[in-house]
Amino acid sequence: MLRRGERVWLNAAVALVYAFLLAPIVIVVLAALNAGAYLRFPPEGLSLRWFVAFAQSRSFTRSLAFSLKLAATATVLSTVLGTMASLWLVRFGGRLRTTLRILLTAPLAVPGILTGIALLIFFYALGWGKTGFGGLVIGHTLICIPYVFLITSAVLVRFDQSLEEAARNLGASPFATFRRVTLPLIKGGVISGAIFAFVTSYDEFNISLLLSGVGNTPLPIQLFDYLRFSFDPTAAVAGTISIAMAVVVVLLTQRLVGLESLYMGGG
Amino acid sequence: MSVAEATVAPARPAGRVSGRHLLILPALAVLVVFFVAPYLNLLLISVMTPSPRAAYLRVLTLDNYARLVRDPFTWSVVWHTMWLGMATTALSLVLAYPLAYHLARSPRGARGALMVLVISPLLVGVLIRTYGWMILLQDTGLINQLLRALGLRTVPLMYNNLGVLIGLTHVFIPFMVLSIAGTIQGVDPELELAARSLGAGAWRAFWRVTFPLSLPGVIAGTVLVFVLTVSSYVIPSLLGGFTVLTIPILVVRTITELFNWPGGSALAILFFAITLGALWVYLRLAGRTGRTT
Amino acid sequence: MASLRLQGLTKRFGDVVAVHELTLEVPSGELVALLGPSGCGKTTTLRMVAGFDVPTRGRIVLGDRDITADPPERRDCGMVFQHYALFPHLTVEQNVAFGLEMRGLRRPDVERRVGEILERVGLGGLGRRYPRQLSGGQQQRTALARALVISPRVLLLDEPLANLDAKLREEMRFYIRSLQREFHITTLYVTHDQAEALVLADRVAVLMNGRLQQVGAPEEIYHRPRTPAVAAFIGLTNLLPGRVTGRSGERLVLETPAGTVRAAGAPDLREGMEAMLSVRPEHIELDRPGEPASRDGVNRLRGVVQERTFLGSLIDFRVDVGGGVLLRVQGRGGAPQRVGEQVSVSFDTTAAWALPRREG
Ligand SMILES: Nc1ncnc2c1ncn2[C@@H]1O[C@H](COP(=O)(O)OP(=O)(O)OP(=O)(O)O)[C@@H](O)[C@H]1O
Ligand SMILES: [Mg+2]
Repeated sequence: MLRRGERVWLNAAVALVYAFLLAPIVIVVLAALNAGAYLRFPPEGLSLRWFVAFAQSRSFTRSLAFSLKLAATATVLSTVLGTMASLWLVRFGGRLRTTLRILLTAPLAVPGILTGIALLIFFYALGWGKTGFGGLVIGHTLICIPYVFLITSAVLVRFDQSLEEAARNLGASPFATFRRVTLPLIKGGVISGAIFAFVTSYDEFNISLLLSGVGNTPLPIQLFDYLRFSFDPTAAVAGTISIAMAVVVVLLTQRLVGLESLYMGGG
Repeated sequence: MSVAEATVAPARPAGRVSGRHLLILPALAVLVVFFVAPYLNLLLISVMTPSPRAAYLRVLTLDNYARLVRDPFTWSVVWHTMWLGMATTALSLVLAYPLAYHLARSPRGARGALMVLVISPLLVGVLIRTYGWMILLQDTGLINQLLRALGLRTVPLMYNNLGVLIGLTHVFIPFMVLSIAGTIQGVDPELELAARSLGAGAWRAFWRVTFPLSLPGVIAGTVLVFVLTVSSYVIPSLLGGFTVLTIPILVVRTITELFNWPGGSALAILFFAITLGALWVYLRLAGRTGRTT
Repeated sequence: MASLRLQGLTKRFGDVVAVHELTLEVPSGELVALLGPSGCGKTTTLRMVAGFDVPTRGRIVLGDRDITADPPERRDCGMVFQHYALFPHLTVEQNVAFGLEMRGLRRPDVERRVGEILERVGLGGLGRRYPRQLSGGQQQRTALARALVISPRVLLLDEPLANLDAKLREEMRFYIRSLQREFHITTLYVTHDQAEALVLADRVAVLMNGRLQQVGAPEEIYHRPRTPAVAAFIGLTNLLPGRVTGRSGERLVLETPAGTVRAAGAPDLREGMEAMLSVRPEHIELDRPGEPASRDGVNRLRGVVQERTFLGSLIDFRVDVGGGVLLRVQGRGGAPQRVGEQVSVSFDTTAAWALPRREG
């Protein structure tokens, strides 16, 4: 392929881009662990004081709890709906397959902020006003369904249907077949779909910005408000938690389905 | 009914066959009621008459669109949004392509580890990554501290287009890498070897063989990144301060600050039309060059 | 044990007619091989019997029960899939136990029967392994055990040996046959390998383009094919076009481009009809030329050796017998004839088989 000299150049360029990709993330973690009020050179030493400040901030802990509750609800809903939909589409899609695939992934393709606006106005039109938790759950589920759908579909397409036929042939009812054969074998895909849904909801900003109200503030909105007025590293702690979660998720997904199944555009 | 052929399902008395459609029904219902309907509602409101006293009057009008189209301010925002979209797409492509190439040509084990590096940033909330950039790019941020320590003049890196461009590019590189790496992996490395055996240098072999074959991934990636960029809200508003105005930001302001629902809705619809138009032109051009190379 | 009857079974996929008006009986305890080239509708037929595909028309009767509309789990057909379809998340034991558990058997009974059948198929001691830890042959036997352990009323096998290497395939043929005899189980065996069908089956059903061409004992299919397509598909044969010009005793007289030939023939062949003559290469002998023309019971033609290919125990000749006809002849390993040599070609009138030219 490439000779040594050529490889060195490519590797150097690639290393720089990776550094660019990871820089802001590493910086957030450093800021959270930094003793001073903001990052400076040379650093002022390590400390957990900002973690303590975060834990003592009522507004941060309350919105963290709210975010976790919201993400858990949206994850359960979108995982169930998305998995069922991908089962149907892969198996029985027929002529509607393409249309429905577009519909199911459309929330990813349109601007989240406009979906938020459309939902906000729609809820008002229905006379629901700001619906608080319910409205946020709807909005987040909408955004999470595509991820679950795409990931479980990737696994289902590879699934050998003759296994299900074998089970039926041996006397298993459709339900027993699903529980004893299908589910154990697509479990990895469903779990990674759920994990992606959880992270997506936990980090979702656009929908939340428009649909959250007083007392219903997910963490990203809390951070957004905070960052408008202050840069102090309490926000970095929230960021570090989110980063830790992302790392766990990536490693889990790699184990469960292999990240390469996330390639877009074929391959 | 579209159940032309039963596969796993047994012969059942007619009528019970449709039980399996219960699988798609809930997701379909949620999407139709809470996604399609709200957007249709938006479309509907965009042709209602604005009113200072109510959300809107139920009087049909095309004025909202006429006003937008006639206002040079709208066009300056549209232009700015499209410019940001194109600049970010181009920059991400340049930075992502080597990464994708390297990833696709790495041995299996290493590829897994590299994928972790590519995907991880995607899973960290946009807000947090933006915050990271703020720490780096502020006037008193790390980069400017470094410049000052070196005795150089500080540079405004944030609250301007540059900051927004950096932030957007950072967010969308992984999407570009994922789109392209798949197609490169589908290109047999032996093709490049064949080109080299025919006398092409490394660069020419790549440029004449691998690159053209990876174009489908490049086109998919650029479309994706462009669409995501022009739609983004957080990064332009945080890293751009008040200096950078894009259509999504303007829509939110019109609706939540000016309470002009019809005007904001019309702008949102206009946004979709312009984005689709831009994509159409792009795909036509890409199709043409694709055919001539 | 029950017999399996297919009556006018038809399956369309859109415009494609995969199986057309198939009527076939598998008598109780017999093994019928469904033989045909790729894409002729074998798998489709089997899937309809198992209940995975719904017939467009026709009925499936098992014993005295019409099972056409039954769901797969209530049909009691054991199936061995082409790629085995072993559950990858279950061990060999758990795979084999699956069907028994679905039937609600008690744990000790399940364990006993699983143990017995694994012993019987020579997999004792491998019960704890997962399918991916087995060789192809072992997977094959696991699939057989899983289908047999539920004592199905009929056993369905879809090209069960297609994924094994040549030697193992030969072994497994006899193995499956002996298992089938021992369990005395009604069996429908799908294959595209004619040797496999001839060795294994009580009766062979030849399917082409979704249509049943002929059903009969292996010898009958081999020696008395009813259509040129069947003759060409089963074993090697020489096909010569000809016209029936008369009868001489039991034999038909045919005029072919290579000369007059007497042959046995299908009873529906009449004088004046266009026919096809089938002569198997191994039934033809080569001699020095100059023998008298056709003796009683033997056809004799003159020819020139065009090609000679060494095949180990056999030598494969192509002999030009005139009229643009090249005959393929298989002689013993030591056959002396050389390329360009004049030879006399002879074959028994009973070894020549005439069949109607119109394909069914
Ligand atoms: N689900 C399907 N949809 C459309 N056409 C099908 C379907 N299944 C089979 N066919 C078509 O029906 C015909 C018969 O297919 P079948 O699988 O029964 O062949 P086969 O005899 O088993 O071939 P092989 O020896 O290659 O397995 C083929 O033309 C095939 O393309
Ligand atoms: Mg088949």
